[in-house]
Amino acid sequence: MVSVKPAGRAGDIRLAYALLSPALLLLAVVIAYPVGWEVWTSLTDLSPLKDGSTGFVGLANYRRLLADATFWQAALVTVVYAAVTSAGKLALGLGFALLLARPFRGRALVFLAIFLPWAYPAGVSVIGWYWTLNPPTITAYAPFMGQLKYAVDGTFGIGAWAFASVMLFNIWRGSSFIAVLLLAGINAIPQELFECALLESRSAWRRFRLVTVPLLKPFLALGVFLSLTSAFADLSNVWMLTAGRIVFPVIGTHAYWLVIKAGQYGPASALSLTLVPFLLAVLLVLFRLFDPPQERSTA
Amino acid sequence: MVIERRWKKWVFFYIPLTVFVLGTLFPFYWMFVTAIRPDAELYRSWRAVNNAPFWTLQPTLEHFRDLMAKTMFPQWLWNTFFIAVISTAISLACGLLAGYALARLKFPMAGALGTSIFVTYLVPPTLLFIPLADIVRDFQLGNTPWALILTYPTFLIPFSTWLLMGYFKTIPKELEECARIDGATRFGAMTRIIFPIAVPGILSAGIFAFTLSWNEFIYALIFLSSPERKTVPVGVVSELIRGDIYFWGQLMAGALLGSIPVALVYSFFVEYYVTGLTGSVKG
Repeated sequence: MVSVKPAGRAGDIRLAYALLSPALLLLAVVIAYPVGWEVWTSLTDLSPLKDGSTGFVGLANYRRLLADATFWQAALVTVVYAAVTSAGKLALGLGFALLLARPFRGRALVFLAIFLPWAYPAGVSVIGWYWTLNPPTITAYAPFMGQLKYAVDGTFGIGAWAFASVMLFNIWRGSSFIAVLLLAGINAIPQELFECALLESRSAWRRFRLVTVPLLKPFLALGVFLSLTSAFADLSNVWMLTAGRIVFPVIGTHAYWLVIKAGQYGPASALSLTLVPFLLAVLLVLFRLFDPPQERSTA
Repeated sequence: MVIERRWKKWVFFYIPLTVFVLGTLFPFYWMFVTAIRPDAELYRSWRAVNNAPFWTLQPTLEHFRDLMAKTMFPQWLWNTFFIAVISTAISLACGLLAGYALARLKFPMAGALGTSIFVTYLVPPTLLFIPLADIVRDFQLGNTPWALILTYPTFLIPFSTWLLMGYFKTIPKELEECARIDGATRFGAMTRIIFPIAVPGILSAGIFAFTLSWNEFIYALIFLSSPERKTVPVGVVSELIRGDIYFWGQLMAGALLGSIPVALVYSFFVEYYVTGLTGSVKG
């Protein structure tokens, strides 16, 4: 060990701040300031389409939101969307990871195939999905897909097909990432533990439940966390996959619509800020649930 | 090891594996088939004779040619590349320094600063696009690449800081301590000993930052308006889908051409990415 002189320690502190300053400065400009601006705007009636000065309206935007049925619908859709896609991603991702955990011939290729949906730019793989699910009316298999769409929409209501396709896309893409993450987790578990477990119990399910799952906990937590937060705040996937014709708006698309189409900055800011409690709730629950000190030290 | 019966292996291993892999790859296959299918075959009735829905008998490169010659696709490729390179360079430089400080130096508030950088990674574009749109308008950056170069660090800096911090933690402290005993300053040890060792980590952080900005959609959709300024994802989606007139063949060709290299590079570096990610979980 090097004995650190007091002067050296002060030097370290100065160096640390010097090294951090570019990142912090830029983040302050592009994150802290915008979030502050947004909080302020949500209390005003700012709109580029409106003449005259911008007025302070207090909590009126929030009050109007809470009284608005479309907001509650969007919030409900957002929660359902996040819950269903996260459950799907986790189940499929865990399945992939367990299948890939043991060596077999061609494993590297299968791994690449499974990783591809996530590695591929979402912006364009979404097009592949859109084309597959909503072909132009004159194409070969359009009648078949059309019938499927009408059957789904007829059973669950107009727009159900589009919404289901967004969820499918999200699960398809996200499970690929969760699989890679969980596979890394499984590989990090010492092999002897599995061998011990094999001696203890012949039931694969018991081994899975009592050994694999507890050891994978931090990875599962990280996976659930990333998946829930990205789904809550999803905007691009829903927007692209429905080509902007949104029947079931989520909070993100609703806010986008308010800004871009209606120019209502105030209400839109209030709306997108309603995501914050969602995000904080997920953050808190997961930090509580899974080894807070460990995760803290890394964050 | 317990020897499992053969049918069990099929039911629990080969069959689910095959189904999964076919499921994940099908959309890519479909994009590919559509891209090489001639228009005459794309747009015709479903009951036509010799209809082969899942493959094509006359593969053609016509859509790729059209894409390069008749659309602004080459321009979009260049725009995307330019924006991705500059924003990656900026974010990587910031992340490198910040990541080192957070991983190696002891200073008051280190924990709090680390947490806050981590939290900024979780601030979604959905929350930020409204104020950023206003800032971009105020500075008259709308419809220029600089609007994106300035906004992409919102997710690139936290991301690369996080990844590099994990990487720095894997480098033994002793290396640096040796250098300091030999008379190097802290800064000298950092630039001449640690950074060279961290090159693989820096490289992978750079590649991931590059692909993240290559894939970005929302900011690019909001801040760029004229067709010749667009990036690949936005250009392909907004310029090749016009109302009910589709250029499906070109669309699919564009979706393939702009992304395969990125996806491949991504796949080769996945190990580094996962190490960085899990390294920060294990602490």
